Amino acid sequence: MTFYEKELNRINGIIYSNQEQVQTVIGVRNYIDNNYDTDLNLDLLSHLRFVSKFHLLRLFKKHYGLTPRQYLINKRIEKSKEQLSIGMSVTETCFAVGFESLGSFSTLFKSKTGKSPSEFQKSNFQEAY
Amino acid sequence: MKVTLISIPVRDQEKALKFYTEKLGFIKKKDKPLEGGNRWLTIVSKEAQDGPELLLEPAPNHFEPSKVFQDALMEAGIPYTQFDVNNVDQEYERLTQLGVEFSIKPSTMGTTKYAVFNDTCGNNIELVEEL
Repeated sequence: MTFYEKELNRINGIIYSNQEQVQTVIGVRNYIDNNYDTDLNLDLLSHLRFVSKFHLLRLFKKHYGLTPRQYLINKRIEKSKEQLSIGMSVTETCFAVGFESLGSFSTLFKSKTGKSPSEFQKSNFQEAY
Repeated sequence: MKVTLISIPVRDQEKALKFYTEKLGFIKKKDKPLEGGNRWLTIVSKEAQDGPELLLEPAPNHFEPSKVFQDALMEAGIPYTQFDVNNVDQEYERLTQLGVEFSIKPSTMGTTKYAVFNDTCGNNIELVEEL
């Protein structure tokens, strides 16, 4: 067994000894991936896995390095880029990926990608042709 | 500041280009001749062609410490870098059929599934899937 494998096994035993916790956060992440376009909140996610809100928040952050909210926002932005790239309008995209206000969608999109949704769409078309 | 380039040391640029494009599925982006037969050779991911470029750098042939470091990582089984895939098991099957050798078969650690293969250019490379 290589040094790398030994180290992985050692760390695995320390960090991931609680397999139930790992399954909980994986389940929550999958749920977000499949339902990012619906109205998701911490109450709903914690009820799904029968854990308290604050426990879930801590666990999720521990395993993925992001809070569920941050993960959801990243997912929605990633999906909105796909929709904008195939020519969906900014307003339609905003609601299709689960945002409820055009203002917050545009602001978040700009802060995450450096461009507003319409700028992103324009630059994408220019690159394609 | 932006991250647009990551370099990976290779012993043979032509062999590396073949392995990374033909087996792994990357696409050649830039190929500029430099001195002494060396090239500025970069590849990109097929799914993200405007994403960061991977520079196949012949450093181990020209700078001894780079070679020593690369050999030490290889011997310890430590991956030089890692690539994200949608499904580690599928990639493992696909690459094994192409003759790629894995030192670690698909395994799970917490919320990550991973596998490690030999890129035939001096490096271990890890494939990662977030669960």
